[in-house]
Amino acid sequence: MMAAPSRAQVISLYKMLLRESYNFPSYNYRTYAVRRVRDAFRVNKDVADPNTVERLVLEGRQSLALIQRQVVVGSMFQAQKTAVE
Amino acid sequence: MASRVLHQCVRSLGRPSLRLLSTNLAVRVAPVSAAAALRPLSFTAASRKTRWLGQSSISSGVLCRQYSDLPPLTLDTIKDRVMYVLKLYDKINPEKLQTSSHFMKDLGLDSLDQVEIIMAMEDEFGFEIPDAEAEKLMTPSEIVNYIADKKDVYE
Repeated sequence: MMAAPSRAQVISLYKMLLRESYNFPSYNYRTYAVRRVRDAFRVNKDVADPNTVERLVLEGRQSLALIQRQVVVGSMFQAQKTAVE
Repeated sequence: MASRVLHQCVRSLGRPSLRLLSTNLAVRVAPVSAAAALRPLSFTAASRKTRWLGQSSISSGVLCRQYSDLPPLTLDTIKDRVMYVLKLYDKINPEKLQTSSHFMKDLGLDSLDQVEIIMAMEDEFGFEIPDAEAEKLMTPSEIVNYIADKKDVYE
């Protein structure tokens, strides 16, 4: 079993997730992703159990890969800009 | 002679690069062509010259490239920009914000907010702050000093 991810790793994961989320070309996906990342980290900020932390970090890495993929897909299919943009 | 001048005009109008200039150029060429009628051989050169003039008069107006840079950074401008970014951050109360206030102790933020503040600073000043150094920056004045240090700004 791996050692529980350190605080620095979690912080860097948070940063990478936010950076990647800001790259969504579509306003709706972008704001949703940023809000979702922030909320998910806030909800689990008091988790102390190493196993849970490890599971959550793994989940976060998978989400990061998913966001990266979706950003690429999103930039291939540019939609018309919405009124809020 | 007149038909030749006209022909020349039509040909130059047809060129794609001159589409925008077309009406302008037709007016400009007219007086020149009268003079050029006396010297038929130099006509093409003369019309080319007017075309260049026409383009440069336009490019000096709107399309001109301005080789400008941002005003040089000073400690004061860095401080203003840092405070401006912080004021725009939604979880900070602008009235409580001081250059010496600690993000966590005085402003009640958590470490995730601090990461977001550092990201906003990276966007504002256009360079990356490594995580190891970012976590030490806890007050606006520390951020100002760090940026001044990295950007080689001194008193």
